[in-house]
Amino acid sequence: MGNPLRTAQDRRLPRIPEPCALVIFGVTGDLSRKKLIPAVYDLANRGLLPPGFVVLGFARRDWGDGDFESLAYEAAKKGARTPWREDVWQRLASQFQFVPGSFDDDAAFDHLAATLDDLRERNGIPGNAAFYFSIPPAAFPLVLNQLARTGMADNAKSGGWRRVVVEKPFGNDLQTAISLNQLVDEVFTPQDVYRIDHYLGKETVQNIMALRFANSLFEPVWNSKYVDSVQITMAEDVGIGTRAAFYDASGAARDVLQNHLLQLLALVGMEEPTSFDPQEVRAEKLKVLRAISLPSDIAKGSVRGQYLPGWVAGERAVGYLEEKDIPSDSTTETYVAVRLGIQNRRWAEVPFYVRVGKRMPRRVTEIAILFKRAPHLPFDPADVEMLGHNQLVIRVQPDEGVVLKFGSKVPGTTMEVRDIAMDFQYGEAFTESSPEAYERLVLDVLVGDRTLFPDASEVEQSWRVIDPLEAAWADTKPDPYRAGEWGPRAADEMLAREGRAWRRA
Amino acid sequence: MIGLWDTTGNEVVKALAAERRSAGGVASGLALTLVAVVEEKKVREAEAAATIAAAAHPCRLLIVVRSDLEGRSRLDAEIVVGGRLGPAEAVVMRMYGRLALHAESVVMPLLAPDVPVVTWWHEEPPHMIANDFLGVVADRRITDAALAPDPVAALRQRAVDYAPGDTDLTWTRITLWRTLVAGAFDTTEERVTGATIVAPKTDPTAALMSGWLQSRLGIVPTWEYSDRSPRMHSVQLECANGDCVTVTREENTALFSRTGQEDRYMPLPKRPVGDELAEELRRLDADQIYGEALGAMAGVTGLDAKPTSRVHVWKDPALAARAGAEAGAMAGPGGSAA
Repeated sequence: MGNPLRTAQDRRLPRIPEPCALVIFGVTGDLSRKKLIPAVYDLANRGLLPPGFVVLGFARRDWGDGDFESLAYEAAKKGARTPWREDVWQRLASQFQFVPGSFDDDAAFDHLAATLDDLRERNGIPGNAAFYFSIPPAAFPLVLNQLARTGMADNAKSGGWRRVVVEKPFGNDLQTAISLNQLVDEVFTPQDVYRIDHYLGKETVQNIMALRFANSLFEPVWNSKYVDSVQITMAEDVGIGTRAAFYDASGAARDVLQNHLLQLLALVGMEEPTSFDPQEVRAEKLKVLRAISLPSDIAKGSVRGQYLPGWVAGERAVGYLEEKDIPSDSTTETYVAVRLGIQNRRWAEVPFYVRVGKRMPRRVTEIAILFKRAPHLPFDPADVEMLGHNQLVIRVQPDEGVVLKFGSKVPGTTMEVRDIAMDFQYGEAFTESSPEAYERLVLDVLVGDRTLFPDASEVEQSWRVIDPLEAAWADTKPDPYRAGEWGPRAADEMLAREGRAWRRA
Repeated sequence: MIGLWDTTGNEVVKALAAERRSAGGVASGLALTLVAVVEEKKVREAEAAATIAAAAHPCRLLIVVRSDLEGRSRLDAEIVVGGRLGPAEAVVMRMYGRLALHAESVVMPLLAPDVPVVTWWHEEPPHMIANDFLGVVADRRITDAALAPDPVAALRQRAVDYAPGDTDLTWTRITLWRTLVAGAFDTTEERVTGATIVAPKTDPTAALMSGWLQSRLGIVPTWEYSDRSPRMHSVQLECANGDCVTVTREENTALFSRTGQEDRYMPLPKRPVGDELAEELRRLDADQIYGEALGAMAGVTGLDAKPTSRVHVWKDPALAARAGAEAGAMAGPGGSAA
């Protein structure tokens, strides 16, 4: 049956969720203010929210609705990507409610449950609600138990869907990830759990699949016969900011390698899914994650780094050990480079060099496929001295786009071949108006589209890659590198040993 | 920017290539060529709209202004790459005299190789698109019935002259309306038994809304004429169980009311033409739903089965005028649009 006014052919009509409530735990936090509330406003402004839509903010503040509203107003106005329209905000704000309380306060959760029930009568919301956990992982069990106790997580009892959105970190290692997953899956049903990896909401990341599976040009060379190596880089120019406590306890590998970078690697390395059904895509990604092999000697095949004081983008930057709230003897890494492999026929012997770092010269995330040199060059060696590997580079951020690098003759009377770059770039304005990752992902949660969310098995499999690395790194000190450099010298040497070099991203 | 007065097509091609070279790959990824057919007094408006649309769809923009057909043949051109017209590369061409009847001779060499061509008339839609070569060469054709003296009649003519790949901006203007109305039936299985549209008699969007509801639901909506607002005022759907869903426009918002529920307000802004154009450029294939709605509205069937490409039919206004003077002996060709 379904809605007679909707057909698959009518692609102008956007997907709009059913009437529902979005419950944000930790609504006064950083993420909520910078990303979540602006995303909700942008969705409203684009007309993508249903007529019945309510935001319930839960946090430990002694506040009235008014205080919350002004905080949300500031946040939305500051972070919105679509033009500011006061009337849209007014209408949205009238649907904002604040529920004060701490996570161990039974009465507050009873009040929340009653508020949700109340919405059914007042706003025509038939029990649908998404719970967004914008809170420290330590608080997860508390909140989940409260949701279980009040029956708020129960689909059947509420008469609609009840979904939960969890932010990274998904645990701290395999053990904690498994117990967290078990807890969440127990309280909610597994298919109602949405783990946000905001990288997957990015336009270019989704474009990796389009590039690979919608074209016939790239797939035939997408294997060990033609690919020499793959470099995945995620560089940030900023330091650790205000996340000292969290960051010092986890480090670069747990913070971003485990999730963002392994997800990128999975998308680049995976086989073609049978269809774009979420299950099929996930099955293929999982296969790649399972096939990841670590260097046989982790000490040689990986490099950890920690930034020293230096200069970044014309400004003085303090060293990691001088950052506020970081112990002066910390051995936490702010840079990781590791040589991974994928054990299957497609990728046999192709190294995947993955690196992440803070206080790098500039902010860039990219995936570079480096192709093998032509098996025979009929040119004089001097003529092709400047010819490097052919490269296909997928720039994830900023300046989203694709670069193809290949050799071309230098104009002139001699035969001289040199690399040139063919640069495809989404227009500046285009990227500006394309939805922000959070906007897309929040909408997907409310609509119930799970394609862009990793599931428990992916998360656990990613930890199986990270755990042995962390074990091998225990009791070692990271190599120092100056802020504003492309990581420690050891990382360059690691590639040099294999006759390769990092691409200057 | 380069301005060329009393020039030739070849000069324009050369100047565009030179500008592109000196701009240094500003617009490296071209998704399409947009040909905008505009009357002189609407050029600024069209430029503004195309700039917005080009931001989302990198394109080569060719603006064609045809006027003064009686005068001497003359071509003036202005070439802008990465300047005031946004990320697009643009050529504004003004054609006079007999040259205006052969605009394609200037435009064809300027089309970007092997990317789709979209022609957009930001003026009264042509009676038969087959008579305008700039429409025949296009993969997608966008008209705007609202710019015709009798918009509803102009929309009917679009049905008569339809080929898959045609759309009218009237249709784009009701996307938000349709979203609201369709959203009301996501959560209910109720059958719709009747509909009432309140709008001025001359409102083409209401006509198309009626056609859409008719084609999707198999009902014949009632059109209540009302001049209380210059545009469509409300759409009401009656369900089999007696429930009513009404969407009423109030300024930039829609009042959404449904039996047994609180009234709610949803955004329903009037979008600039540029945004509408950008929505059109998002899809370059034929819009079957539009075809069905247009057919239902005009009472023409089989629109979908019409051939997708047109054959140019030469129509000389000078001949027609002369023929008209000779007591209308010849009505002029144009009937064989298919």
